Amino acid sequence: MSDQRVGDNSGGLPQILLVGNPNVGKSVLFNALTGTYTTVSNYPGTSVEVSRGTCEIDGRRFEVLDTPGMYALMPITEEERVAREILLDETAHLVLHVVDARNLERMLPMTLQLVEAGLPVALVVNILDEAERIGMQINLELLQEKLGIPVIGTAIARKRGVKELRSVIADYVDKRTACFGYAADLERDIEKVVATLEGEYRIKPRAVALLLLQKDEDLLRIVQESEGDRFGHIMATLNEVTFARRSDLHLRINLERKRVCRGLLQGVISEEQGRRPPFAERLSAWTMNPVSGGALLLIVLYFGFYKFVGGFGAGTVVDFLEGTIFEGHLNPWMISHADQYIPWYWLHELLVGEYGILTLAIRYAVALVMPIVGAFFIAFSIIEDTGYFPRLAMLVDRIFKRIGLNGRAVIPLVLGFGCDTMATMVTRTLETVRERILATVLLALAIPCSAQLGVILGLLAEVPGALLIWSSVLMGVFMLVGLLAARLVPGERPMFYMEIPPLRLPQPRNVLVKTLTRMQWYFFEIFPLFVIASVLLWAGKMTGGLDYLVRGMNPVMRLLGLPPEASAAFIFGFFRRDFGAAGLYDLQSNGLLTAVQLTVAAVTLTLFVPCVAQFLVMRKERGWRVSLGIFTVVTALAFSVGFILNRLLLTSGVLS
Amino acid sequence: MQCGFCARELPEKLPETACGACPGGCRKIHCPWCGYANPAPPKLLKKILNKNIDSEENTQ
Repeated sequence: MSDQRVGDNSGGLPQILLVGNPNVGKSVLFNALTGTYTTVSNYPGTSVEVSRGTCEIDGRRFEVLDTPGMYALMPITEEERVAREILLDETAHLVLHVVDARNLERMLPMTLQLVEAGLPVALVVNILDEAERIGMQINLELLQEKLGIPVIGTAIARKRGVKELRSVIADYVDKRTACFGYAADLERDIEKVVATLEGEYRIKPRAVALLLLQKDEDLLRIVQESEGDRFGHIMATLNEVTFARRSDLHLRINLERKRVCRGLLQGVISEEQGRRPPFAERLSAWTMNPVSGGALLLIVLYFGFYKFVGGFGAGTVVDFLEGTIFEGHLNPWMISHADQYIPWYWLHELLVGEYGILTLAIRYAVALVMPIVGAFFIAFSIIEDTGYFPRLAMLVDRIFKRIGLNGRAVIPLVLGFGCDTMATMVTRTLETVRERILATVLLALAIPCSAQLGVILGLLAEVPGALLIWSSVLMGVFMLVGLLAARLVPGERPMFYMEIPPLRLPQPRNVLVKTLTRMQWYFFEIFPLFVIASVLLWAGKMTGGLDYLVRGMNPVMRLLGLPPEASAAFIFGFFRRDFGAAGLYDLQSNGLLTAVQLTVAAVTLTLFVPCVAQFLVMRKERGWRVSLGIFTVVTALAFSVGFILNRLLLTSGVLS
Repeated sequence: MQCGFCARELPEKLPETACGACPGGCRKIHCPWCGYANPAPPKLLKKILNKNIDSEENTQ
């Protein structure tokens, strides 16, 4: 730990450390204890602020430190690192672990960690008034008995419990007797590691062993310094245990702690007699139930994406911007001015020609993609702000396990509906290489990006049955490829566990900020690419290269049953998925596609190769060999599925 | 700002180095706990929002 102490503590005052998650009322408690005379300074060597003040209880003065928010004793962020350093460096009279009464089960594992560490802890169950308001009854005496530490119920904002808390601080005598047992095999592993530790630590060897088993790198360095030559033996023991268990011990220990906490809370939390759980809690349970969760998912997809993005964004707004503003006014005005003032054919074509920067790139970006992406990001941000996504992860975990993934893969796959390129980068958060490859394949193949999804929803919504066929084919391909890839790609199958945050009403401010930020980011990313694509297409037209490319693709188009003009949409699609979808929109607007052709083109374009940016990120994340392999498989599969679908639709007469 | 996925409070300053994938600078905050890519509000928007918060606080 750092040599520098956070508090001057020059007067040698006994210290009270306030610890806990962010937003549980630590700062309010700090103010209630210390009053107005406090100092805020950066923790040495960091930009993290720590507040200090003093308080007097029964004639005895204490120094109070408000530590940055932390979720567990094992730090991930700088704030958590600082909070832990303070905890371990200071010799506290008392550590007050402040928790939110409404989320006691989620926060209690950290209390266990603090007790395990041998720190002098008292538990402050704050926001008790809100918990009671929603019908929660907490037996604090029983919890105190089970934990073996003082437990105080408070609602600090209403000054409730402050007096009791002050008397606990004044009368506290360190007893530290509680010990929480884990599963027998885990206990044996802990014992093995504890037996190797001989150095002196500020926390109990059992807590050191647990953190080492969880691969706490900061602590590993401290152990190395403390143990000297014995460190090699400790590492060998840790490796031996990890190898023997063949599982993620970090997750295992967290799950064990959760189990212990559930046991501790048995009989402690009860609902008010005859009172039903709050609606948010019931809705939360419904979203994760396989039956009601599936139905709710369909409702979210129908209203959020089909009606709002496809109907309103890709329909109403695009019709107005594209049809009325651009086609009705802007484009004719720009073309007539160009006819009048630009005598050079090449410049005329570059600006207002078939692939002109003004008539194609800007029109696609502003009139087609932006409204759709905007609608998508509004819907996405609302859903995100409710806390639905972690519930979706739990819902699909079972299905994802069949395709070699788990609920965690919901993060990149959901983000893929925004932008596949960014989502491909996020696959690095998945635990194993196998999962990362599987998620990359599925993103490249079956997850359409927001603009592509919006345009396709808008186009197919006008043809009865087309949308059902498109979504069924995509789901089928997603599952089939996932199942096959899971069998073919070797590797581990990790477990999935996550804490579910409370369901909440979306905040308009959050939704607005997220939507505007995402739209700005998207626009900055697509606009230059659309202009570059437009210039390249113009250059292709001027040199005859584009004709050559289109002619080269004609046999493929014929196999798919598509008109030769559809080649352009596929060439566009390689620049950007959304650019390709916009090309498809033009084809449909010009009446060049039948219902069958539109469905086949939409399916093939959705499955078609990832765009240039996505391919480059794939190469960066997975290397040339894997990314070229994915590229080849996805291209071949897209055209094969398109070909089969065309034959099936023509033979069966569906959509004809 | 809370993570849109795990709802944990995102630190003001993240220690991670930028991956360089966003053209024109960082526009995403990757949650250090779950890895979810949260949108990072641009400076101008942040300024406007902070101004609004300040004026709201002053009127209270």
